[in-house]
Amino acid sequence: MYPTSRQQDAPLRRSARRAASIAAVLGACLALAGCAGTAAQGAGQEAGPAEPAPGGTLRFALGAAPQGVDPQQVGTNVSIYVARQLADSLTDQDPVTGRIEPWLAESWDISDDLTRFTFHLREGVTFSDGSDLTADDVKAGFDAIAGDLGATAPLAASYLAGYEGTEIADDHTLTVVFDAPNAQFLQATSTVSLAVLAQETAAVDPSERLQGEIVGSGPFVLESYTQDQGAVLTRRAGYDWAPASAAHDGEAYLDRIEFSVVPESGVRAGGLASDQFDAVGDVLPQDVPQIEGSGGTVLTRANPGVPFILQPNLTRPPLDDADVRRALLLAVDRTELVDTVLSDAFEPATGVLASTTPGYVDRSDRLAFDPDEAGRILGAAGWTPGADGIRVKDGEPLELEVTYAPVFTGSGPVLELVAQQLRAVGVDLRLRQVTAAEQTTAQQSGDYDLYYYNVTRADADILRTQFSTAQRNLSLREADDVVDPLLEEQLGERDADARAALVADAQDAILDDALAVPLFELSQSIGVRGDVHDVTFDASSRLLFHDAWIEQEG
Amino acid sequence: MTALRPPVRPAGRLAALARPATLVAALAVAVVLLWALAPGLFTGHDPVTGVPAERLQAPGAAHWFGTDHLGRDLYARTVHGTSLSVRAALLAIAVALVAGSAVGLVAGFTGGPVDEALMRGTDVLLAIPGLLLSLAVVTALGFGTVKVAIAVGVASVATFARVMRTQVLRVRHATYVEAARLAGAGRAAVLLRHVLPNAAGPVLALAAVELGAVILAVSALSFLGYGATPPTPEWGSLVAEGRDYLAVAWWYSTLPGLVVAVFVLAVGVLGRALAREGRTDR
Repeated sequence: MYPTSRQQDAPLRRSARRAASIAAVLGACLALAGCAGTAAQGAGQEAGPAEPAPGGTLRFALGAAPQGVDPQQVGTNVSIYVARQLADSLTDQDPVTGRIEPWLAESWDISDDLTRFTFHLREGVTFSDGSDLTADDVKAGFDAIAGDLGATAPLAASYLAGYEGTEIADDHTLTVVFDAPNAQFLQATSTVSLAVLAQETAAVDPSERLQGEIVGSGPFVLESYTQDQGAVLTRRAGYDWAPASAAHDGEAYLDRIEFSVVPESGVRAGGLASDQFDAVGDVLPQDVPQIEGSGGTVLTRANPGVPFILQPNLTRPPLDDADVRRALLLAVDRTELVDTVLSDAFEPATGVLASTTPGYVDRSDRLAFDPDEAGRILGAAGWTPGADGIRVKDGEPLELEVTYAPVFTGSGPVLELVAQQLRAVGVDLRLRQVTAAEQTTAQQSGDYDLYYYNVTRADADILRTQFSTAQRNLSLREADDVVDPLLEEQLGERDADARAALVADAQDAILDDALAVPLFELSQSIGVRGDVHDVTFDASSRLLFHDAWIEQEG
Repeated sequence: MTALRPPVRPAGRLAALARPATLVAALAVAVVLLWALAPGLFTGHDPVTGVPAERLQAPGAAHWFGTDHLGRDLYARTVHGTSLSVRAALLAIAVALVAGSAVGLVAGFTGGPVDEALMRGTDVLLAIPGLLLSLAVVTALGFGTVKVAIAVGVASVATFARVMRTQVLRVRHATYVEAARLAGAGRAAVLLRHVLPNAAGPVLALAAVELGAVILAVSALSFLGYGATPPTPEWGSLVAEGRDYLAVAWWYSTLPGLVVAVFVLAVGVLGRALAREGRTDR
C-alpha cells in the first residue's frame, strides 16, 4: 500500500517547475536590463543639425508614473512633463531673465495695494474642442480651484489663497480680486498649476480630469492616457499663440509624443542607446557615459523652489526638541551625497531655497558638515551614546523615520546615504517608502516623523506655502511671531528689494528653528538622442516640446 | 503481535547521500547555513555602513564581491542578508508544512463531505499561480520579512495538503491502524500515534524540495520591494538594487544572484536525494 511513484512525484515536479518559472522571471528581468545596458549602438549623426522640420514621433521614457494629466491638479515633475503640453497659462516666465511675459494674457494691470489683477486676454485663442478662449473660462477655473477642486489641487489652491472672486468686464477682460496683498500671484499665473482650461472642464469630477477629461489650448492634445503606463499626445492643429520665449510661432513640429513609464534608470539609458526611446527623464550619473557614448546628450537645468529637504513633524518627539533638529542640519554631508549618488548636474543644498530661485540667499556656512558639533549638541541635549552606537535619552533610542515616495529615482540611494551619515552621529534613521498616494494620505493625517520632498517654483513665496502655519504647515507647528509674520509680510511688499530682504530674513528664521534639513537641489537631467533637437526647459525647469524636432531621414 | 507493529524507518541512511553531487550540494548548504548563523565569522566588513569614496569597485582581494553604489561590501551584505532570507524561507516552509499537513490529515482521515470541502478549497489555491497568490497576500498584510514569509507559506499550503492527504489515505486502512482501532484506541490517538508518523516521511521530503522554490519566492518578493526596508540587506533586494547599475557594475546583481541560484540548486539536489531515500525505504 505504498504510493506509486507517479502520485508522489507530481507535487515534487510541480515545485521544481515553480522554482524554474520564478527563476525564469527573475532571469528575464536581469536579461532585459542587461541587454538594454550592453546593446549600445553608435547613434550619433555625422552632419550638423539641419533646419527644424515638422513630423515624427518622439518616444519619451519617464522615470516615474504621472499622477494624471490635469495641469491644475498634478505636482510631480513627470506629470507636468505631460500636462504642460496640453494647456497654456495667462503669463509666461522667461527662463533666462525670470521676468513675467505675456502669453494668453496680452497685458495686465495691478492695483497699488496688490489685491486686484486685471488681465487683457489675447484674441483668437481657441481650445482643442474649437471653443474660443474667454474671460469665463479663466473665471471658472479659478473659482473651481478656490472651491471644491482645491482639496486635490493643493499647489494651485495655495497660489489662490485669499481669493475673493473674478470680475468679468467683457469677453476678454477680467479682474482677479484678493482680500489681501498678493505679491506672488502674477508669477503664479505663469505656472502649470494655474493653466487655463475650458470652462466645461471645471465641472468635471477631479478624478476623471486626472484620467484625461480636460480641454486645454496647448500645442498638443491628449490622445490617450493609461495610468502607470504612459500617455500619447498629438499635435494641435492651428496652434498659433506660443509665448515670446519660444523659438518659433505656429504649430509644434512633432506629430506625436509617446510617453512611457520606465522606472529603472539603466533600462531607460539602454533604451535610448538602442533606439527604443528618443529622450529619457531622470538620468543618473552611472548612465551618463552610456548616453553620451551612443551620440546622445544630457540636458540639465536646476529646479528653483524648495530643494529636497527633510521637514520635521514638530508634534513627534524627539523632533519637538530644536536641538535635535539643529544637530541634523550639521550631521549631513551634502557634498558626499551629490558626489556619491547624484551626477554633476546636481548641487548640494545651500539654504532652504534652491540657488536658481529669485530671492535665494547662500547659507552654506550654516549647513557645513560638522559631525563633532552635531554630536556635541546632541550630548548637551541629553542624548548619550548607547551600546549599539545609537544615542539614548531616558531609555528612548534616537530613532527617526523618513517618509518618502520615489517620485525622483535617486531618492532611495540618497536617503540610504543620509541614514548612514546620521548613524555616524548616533541617530537611527529608518526609511519608509510609500506610493505618492500613500504619501499624500500620510501628509494629511500627520503620520510621519520626517517628510522628504521638494517643491519647484520660481518665486520665494514657496516658503510661505510650505512653512507658514496658515498654509500646508508640514511641520505641524504652532503659529509663532518670527517666521509666520515674515512670510506674510513679503506677500504684501510691492518693492522688489524690500521683498527680497524679508525673504532673506525668512530663510534665516527657518534655519534658526531648523524647520527643514536641506539635502540637495533637484536638477532635471534629460537624455536625448543625437537627432533630437530643441527640447527646452521652462522657468520652472519643466520640459517644453513646442520647439522640439527630430531629424527626418531622406 | 510483531507483525502488527508499525514499520519504523531506519534513522538516516547516509549511503545514498554519499554521491559527489549530493556531497557538493550538502557542502554549499552547510556554508550558507553557517552564514546565516554566524555571519561575523565570514566577513569583517560592515554590511550597512560603507565608504562612499569606494563606491562601485570591482571584485578583488579587498572586496570579494565588489562594492555597491554607497561603497558597501557586497560580500558582507550577501552574507549578512542570508540570515533574513533563510529564516524567512524556513518560516514559510513551517507555515506551509503545519497548515498544509493539518488540512491534509483531517481531509484524508475524515473522508466524506469534509474531505470534499477541504480538497476543493486546496484546488482553488492550486488554480492560482503561487507567486500571484503570495503577492495578493503580502499586499494585504503589508511589507516586511515576516509578512513575506507568511505570504509565501500560504501559497504552498495546498501542495502540502495534497501530499499529506494521499499519504493518510494510504495509511488509514493499513493493518496496524485497523488493529489499533480494534484495540480500542480513540480517533485522536490513532491519528496522532499511528497515522501521522507513518504519513509524515514524504511530506518532510517535500518540505526539503519546496525549500528551494520558497527561497526563490521569498527573494522574488524582496526583489519586488516587499521585504526588509533598506539598508537591511536581503538576497532579493540586493539583486534588485543592482539593476540600475548593470551597465557599469556587472557584479552588483550578478554575484548575489549567483549565490541565490547556487543555494536553490543545492537545496534541490539535497531534497531530491532525501526524497529518493524516503522512497527506497519502503
